[in-house]
Order: sequence, then structure tokens, then C-alpha cells
Amino acid sequence: MQREAGGDNWLIDIHQVERRYGNIAALRGVSLRLRQGTVGLVGNNGAGKSTLNKILLGILPANAGSGTILGCDIRQSTRDLRGRVGYMSESGGAVPILHGVEFVALSGELYGMPRRESLRRAHEVLYYCGLGELRYRQLEEYSAGNIQRLKLAAALVHDPELLLLDEPTSGLDPAGRRTFLKLLEDLIEETGKSVLLSTHLLGDIERLCEQVVVLHQGQVVRAGTMTELRNILHDRFDLRWQGPDEPFLAHLQQAGVEIVPGKLAGQATVSVPKPWSTVQFFELARQAEVVLTGLKMEEENLERMFFRMTEQEQPHGT
Amino acid sequence: MGLDTARYHGWHGKLRSPVWSSLALVRVALLQVFRRKIYWLVLALGFLRFVVFYVTIYMVTQFTELPPVFREFAFRALDFKASSELGDSGYIRFMDGQSVVVMILLAFSGSLLVGADFRLGSLPFYLSRRIDRWHYILGKLLAVSVLVSLVTVVPALVLFIEYGAFTSSFEYWLDNFDVALSIVGYGAVIAGSLSILLVTISAYLERMAPIAVVWSSLFILLGSFSRLLDRITGYEAWELLNPWRLIRHTGRLWFPAFRQSEDAWLGWWSLFILTVVCTALLLALFRRVRAVEVVE
Repeated sequence: MQREAGGDNWLIDIHQVERRYGNIAALRGVSLRLRQGTVGLVGNNGAGKSTLNKILLGILPANAGSGTILGCDIRQSTRDLRGRVGYMSESGGAVPILHGVEFVALSGELYGMPRRESLRRAHEVLYYCGLGELRYRQLEEYSAGNIQRLKLAAALVHDPELLLLDEPTSGLDPAGRRTFLKLLEDLIEETGKSVLLSTHLLGDIERLCEQVVVLHQGQVVRAGTMTELRNILHDRFDLRWQGPDEPFLAHLQQAGVEIVPGKLAGQATVSVPKPWSTVQFFELARQAEVVLTGLKMEEENLERMFFRMTEQEQPHGT
Repeated sequence: MGLDTARYHGWHGKLRSPVWSSLALVRVALLQVFRRKIYWLVLALGFLRFVVFYVTIYMVTQFTELPPVFREFAFRALDFKASSELGDSGYIRFMDGQSVVVMILLAFSGSLLVGADFRLGSLPFYLSRRIDRWHYILGKLLAVSVLVSLVTVVPALVLFIEYGAFTSSFEYWLDNFDVALSIVGYGAVIAGSLSILLVTISAYLERMAPIAVVWSSLFILLGSFSRLLDRITGYEAWELLNPWRLIRHTGRLWFPAFRQSEDAWLGWWSLFILTVVCTALLLALFRRVRAVEVVE
């Protein structure tokens, strides 16, 4: 992401962060500068999302690198930082036998809230998360969707400035996922809280996030706003023409254009090299003696962008 | 609720020291235990023995017309006046006798209080809050210690108070104050060492069955083995292989008479071994309690 002059209020500002587990490099020189708002952290399983989350939270030390989150040094003021961040882990996290309200109140007390305040606040956030009627049930009786909402309530109980959500919708059925995302959407809209959403479900990020960080094999492949990413990758076009296919396709190939031929004659999807101007299509069509009848930039969605970005980063031979 | 539950409300209070969070862990752990009926059954077993002692004290102090044989037998068995007899007072015997209940109670509770956190992946939940590893460990150790104390120190102190109340009251309590201190000290050794042992075993083994197997092996098999070696070789030091003996000898160091006796060396060696073992276990526990599980 581009560094901005005079911007002290970064949500996350880390530089060359590395983390290894034995011989395995989970994070390799990750540098990021992210503004306040909703950020999506996307990557395959094992890309390093959870590790990055835990380093940002200060519960896992980085082997190298430095940085701040909400202005707190990730290596020093970790406890203060955790008082300002709400963390929702990917799996587990439930304490057996407790009732929902006791679990959320325990979370508050672990954040340092006084017991009475914590209990009062637990009732409040459980109602907000739509679990008011279920708050006296034991955790074992909650559905997967409700457990996720309960964990969100536990992360919200001390009213944090930033929410770190690690795969919050994975394992949920479509209805549960929709409900959870709606809850999160309302929360962001109402409170303006910053959210760092780690997921491999790209639809969640497209729906909620203004900024995206793509992690692949422990490295940041791309980081930026959705619009910035789309602009970077806007190199695909749908072409339609009248006239023989072969000479036009040959001219395109000679110009370095990758071609995905269409099912019908006279159409193809192409990926152009950079720099490229659309005028070049007309020039090539003229040389091949065909008439260009359609030229449309292909719509990029996050899923397509993600696969293209991570494919580009694949080591040779894989 | 009387509040606008559809809207989000902020919170602007002040966060407290994480030590308070350790106490919250203790409270929640006890809540978890007391919500399971099986633990009430085990506690009731421990309570039965307490009732026998309690009633016996009541009878020998209140019914003076009891047959002398019974009174003599009861006094010898309970020995509640023996504050100077090498710590072998009735209170210590009572606490020793509770060891079976303690073993069963802890064998069951280890997986619930500690193992479940590892098995269900709850550690990131705890450690992502404003507590460090030591606060988590402290909370769990205190929780197990409270459980142990509930069946050992607390009833022993109640018996001490009862005996004084039914005899010479203040004089008994003042004259035998060292006994009360010894009960607390002995209880602290039992609770401290057993909690470290249990929490570490549970953190590594996680599930109830292996925890119970290792736990009972430690206290039953190792105990029998040490007795066998003692009998074959006639060398008393083999006792130090028995964890319960280690705890007992260390606990008895609280009694001045024991410290001055010929057997005192057993107490000091026990203290040394117990300290080394507990330190090693705490280090292993600290290593185990992490927010990240490495998956290759």
C-alpha cells in the first residue's frame, strides 16, 4: 500500500515482519500500512493470516520486524493494545458448561473490566448480537452460527476500537453466514469501528471491506483499496470481430496478447501486456483486415483477482 | 432490560489489573466443577469422613458418661490434642485420609478445568485478552488449590475450631495455635504441589482417561513400588519415590517437633525433591501454554 505523507493515524503500520515455526516461514517480510476502516485479509489456508493476527495482537512475537497497531508498538505495549482490540479466534474458544452470559462476562473480566460492569455489559452486547433470549443457555447448546455471534459479543464486550476477526464465517451454513455478515455490517455502519477480517471467503470481504490485503505463502501479494486492486488488474478484455479468426489471433499473439478463444467464431477473451492502449486493438484489427464489433473490459471480482494474483506469485514448476 | 437493545452502546470504564482476571478464572473454574453432579458425589464422599470425625469429637467432648474404652479409643484414633507429636495429630491424619477423595476429585476435574482449554482450542480466547500466560496459569493453579483445600484444609480447620469450642475454647485455640498454622501450612503444601502436578499433566494429556491413568499410576503404582523397594532393601529413603509421601514429609516440616526429630532428613529431602519437580513442571507448563498451535 502506498505510504502517505504525514499520516500518523495508521490503523496498522508494520515493517518487514517475519515469523518462523522451526524451519517453516509463516510470514516473510510483511510490510503494511492500513488506514482506519474495514480491512480484509485474504489468503489460502496456511497463507499466514492467523499468524499475522496473533502478531498484531501481541500474543505471538515476531522473529523480526517492527510496527504499530493503533499507535501501540507490537513488541512492547501488547497488554495495553489488547485492551483496545477485540479478538475473535477462528475455532474453539468456548468454555464448557458456562452460560452464554457468563462466557461473555468472563471475557470482559479477562479484558480487565470490573465484574459487575462486565456482567451488565455482557447482557447488553448479547442483546445487540441477537442472543438476548439465549443468554442463559449453556454453550454446548448453541448452534454454530450462534457460537460465532457469542464470540463476537465476547470480543465486543469491552467496546474495543478495533475488531480482529479470524475466519468468523467459516463453517457456517448460508443462512448463518448471511445473518452474521448483516450483524457485522450494521455494527460497522453504526459504530464506525475498524475491523480486520481474515478469511478465505472472498464474498465476505467484497461485502464488508474497503481495503484488502492479499497474503500468499507468508508474503503480501497486493494491498490496497478494492478500486486500486481492480485498476491494477484491469487487463482483460472481451473482443468481438467480423472476419476470419486466424489472422487476427495471430496478430494479437505477435503483439504479446494472451488469448482465451471463445466458443463461437469471432470472439475471444484476451489478456494484454502492459503498457497497453485500447487503440492497439483497432490497429491490429485493421492489419488483419477484420472489423472490431465489440470491445469490453472484463469485470473483475475479488475471487478472480485473488486467483490471478496468487497464480502470478507461484514459484516456477508449481 | 430497560435499555435500547437494538442499538450499540459504548463502554467507557477503566480496565483493572490482570491479577483480577486470574481471580475470575478461579471463580469460573469452580462454577464449572460445581455444575457437574459427579463432583458433588465425590465431595460428598469427602464430607462423609468429615462427618465421622465431627460426630466423634462431639460425642467424646459432650457425652462424658461414654464408656472409657470408647473415649480412649476415640482420642487415640483422632489424637486431637497431640500438637507436639511429630505432626501426627488427628488433623493431619484427617487430611491424609482425604487423599483418596482428593485423588478422585482431581482425576476428574483435570480434563474439565485445564484439558478442555487445550482440547477445544480455548487458549487463544484467554491469551488474546489482557492476561499473560502467568495469569492464566496462576488462575488454574489457584482453582485446583481451592478444590483441594475444600476437602482438606477447610474441614480440618473446622474440626480444630469444633474441638476448641466443645472443650476449653480460647485456651485450646491459643495453646494449639501452632496446630492451626500447621494445618494451613500442610494444606498449602498439598494444594500447591498437587495443583502444579495436575495442571501440568492435564495441559499435556488433555483428556480425562489418560489423565486419570497417569494420575492413579503416579499415586498408586509409584507408591506401591516404593513400599516394595523399602521392604526388600530395608532402606527408608525409597519412600521418597512415593509422591504422596513426599508431600506428607514436606508438609510435616511445619511441625517444629518433626523438624527436631531423627526423621527430619526425610522432610528436607522431600522438600528438595518436591521443589525440583514442581519447578520443572512449572517450566514445562509455561512452555505448553501458548496461544498458537503449530500446524505443519
